[in-house]
Amino acid sequence: MLTYFARRLLTLIPMVIVISFLIYLGLELTPGDAVSHMVPPDALSMMDEERLQALRESLGLGKPFIVRYWIWITGVMQGEFGYSLAGGVPISKIFLDRLPATLELSFAALLISTVLGSILGTISALTRGSLTDQSLTVVGMLGVSIPEFFFGLVAILVFALNLNWFPVGGRILPGYDSFWDRLPHLVMPAMVLSIMMTAGVMRYARSSMLDALSRDFIRTARSKGMPEWRVNILHGFRVALTPVIVLIGFRLPVLIGGSVIIEQVFQWPGIGKEFVSAVRSQDYPLVMMVALFSVLAVLIASLIVDLLTAIIDPRVRLGE
Amino acid sequence: MANDVALTVKALKTYIYTNNRCNRALDGVSFEIRQGKTLCIVGESGCGKSVTAASIMQLLPTLSRIEEGEITYHGPDGPVRIDQLPRDGAKMRAIRGKEIAMIFQDPMTALNPVYSIGFQIKEMLKYHTGLGRSDRHSKAIDLLRSMGIPLPKKRVNEYPHLYSGGMRQRAMIAIGMSCNPRILIADEPTTALDVTIQAQIFELMDTLKRDHGTAIMLITHDMGVVAELADDVAVMYMGNIVEAGPVGKVLRNPVHPYTRALLDSIPVLGRGKDQEIKAIPGQTPDPYNRPKGCQFADRCAYRIGACDQMPDEMQVAPDHRVTCWRYEEFAADAAE
Ligand SMILES: Nc1ncnc2c1ncn2[C@@H]1O[C@H](COP(=O)(O)OP(=O)(O)O)[C@@H](O)[C@H]1O
Ligand code: SF4
Ligand SMILES: [Mg+2]
Repeated sequence: MLTYFARRLLTLIPMVIVISFLIYLGLELTPGDAVSHMVPPDALSMMDEERLQALRESLGLGKPFIVRYWIWITGVMQGEFGYSLAGGVPISKIFLDRLPATLELSFAALLISTVLGSILGTISALTRGSLTDQSLTVVGMLGVSIPEFFFGLVAILVFALNLNWFPVGGRILPGYDSFWDRLPHLVMPAMVLSIMMTAGVMRYARSSMLDALSRDFIRTARSKGMPEWRVNILHGFRVALTPVIVLIGFRLPVLIGGSVIIEQVFQWPGIGKEFVSAVRSQDYPLVMMVALFSVLAVLIASLIVDLLTAIIDPRVRLGE
Repeated sequence: MANDVALTVKALKTYIYTNNRCNRALDGVSFEIRQGKTLCIVGESGCGKSVTAASIMQLLPTLSRIEEGEITYHGPDGPVRIDQLPRDGAKMRAIRGKEIAMIFQDPMTALNPVYSIGFQIKEMLKYHTGLGRSDRHSKAIDLLRSMGIPLPKKRVNEYPHLYSGGMRQRAMIAIGMSCNPRILIADEPTTALDVTIQAQIFELMDTLKRDHGTAIMLITHDMGVVAELADDVAVMYMGNIVEAGPVGKVLRNPVHPYTRALLDSIPVLGRGKDQEIKAIPGQTPDPYNRPKGCQFADRCAYRIGACDQMPDEMQVAPDHRVTCWRYEEFAADAAE
């Protein structure tokens, strides 16, 4: 198990190197100068051309691309993320401010879609062919095919503006900063963000469950005279769960991509919203760091999923 | 009725419905399973052996029904009409596993890969015995040991993928025998295993029958197995039992042409190397397009005009019955 984990961790390293290299290359190809990404803009405006040139020398900008990449990536690893072009705020500070909001939203959506998707998919499989199953299938199809921002706008219109159940957007009101104060703000964006994933998980859980229920060991379990719920849940669902978790891992990038849009729709002050405005204002250093961190998030998530499946599957858990 | 009978099946008709068509999988099947004896049900693939077992266990596919007939389990508390119990009701579940246990054809797929062998034995004990947690554990170890699994203390915690095919079938038998059932149904338990393992599994089942007085219903398509293990035999063809009786009579004096054909299709011990082995000509009919009369007619060398009608069941001897119009000629021939 430990060696498995270590091996899995090692495979991440080349991936991170390749991806960070591509991102750096992307930045290299954009207009502008690296000095402008490393020095706070107000400091920059006070420098004359000579001092800038000296700075470029001292920063090693005359050096070959590959060397500069090395300097950059080792810097990032030590926490030197550079500065945002807009306002010269250190990118690390932006991350510290915005990341909790994004994590909160993504985890809430992940939790909702995993739990709700598995339960609905299981119900659908157990009642195969019934009206419940057919309605769930239709709802699931709508869920995966209608874009999230549409659901977001409808939700705002119905639940915020008409019914007044939830606030229109935002995350924290000044002075109200406990989790329970924030919860009403979280409900709508988390639900809307989870729709597509819930529908995907549901459809997959249904087919995975049907597959599990058709296996021989289900008949063995029945032949033991155990109640149906135990046969279905302990033997059927337990086996159906592994592929579902793998699917959730594969879909995590979709969730991360979705959060960019949803944060915009609900004015959720997370990384995604920051990312959109950074792209608009051509704030390349910030765009680059957000891209790098999204990739890292996806890689780490897939690692966690692998570990979870390993823990669930005895063949891997007790592996050779 | 003799009180050594564990289960009676009478004129059982089980129909399976697929694509709006009705498959009369069992079309009037009768037999008894005697306490402490092995009944072999033998016949070609598709003749209804597994459906017979599934009817007794009430483990039939959803779109199927016991249309007519009786299945009576003669339990310690008097006879129970299994066919009248709701499939997943508490009464049926109390019988399933505890009174009548079953082991299946393919031990590679019959065990759940995500639970340890011990777990899969212990959950049976949990539902049918009052044993506590630690008693269940030691009972599981005892069961594995008595099924001939080495290092049972260690093996009890292992998962199925670490067991070989033969070991898995032993573990399945351990599950089946865990509540000391009165009847053990084994549906082609060795078809998926190789020959030496086959012999070991059958030896184990025979020992269990002797030691515990368990009645065994062994399903097979192999007449060789019948000769080795059976006390009683029922030969099935297309949802009917065409010949049944004690093994000595049926194998030594086979009356039905189908039984004879089955026996001719296997090598017989002691008849030497040059014996003739004849495959049965033709194929089993399409279950949706059956012959009107004797189901075997199309493949039978002795067919006459009367065979276009379904023959009645005839007694060759009080304990030997056959379903064939020309049984008297064959019986006379066999008696020689
Ligand atoms: N689950 C099922 N669904 C549809 N038909 C079935 C099913 N199980 C068995 N049958 C049909 O019932 C008949 C008897 O099959 P079975 O009892 O499995 O034969 P076998 O003697 O080989 O065990 C066959 O015609 C088969 O097609
Ligand atoms: S009834 Fe006729 S066709 Fe059928 S087995 Fe007997 S002789 Fe053959
Ligand atoms: Mg079968």
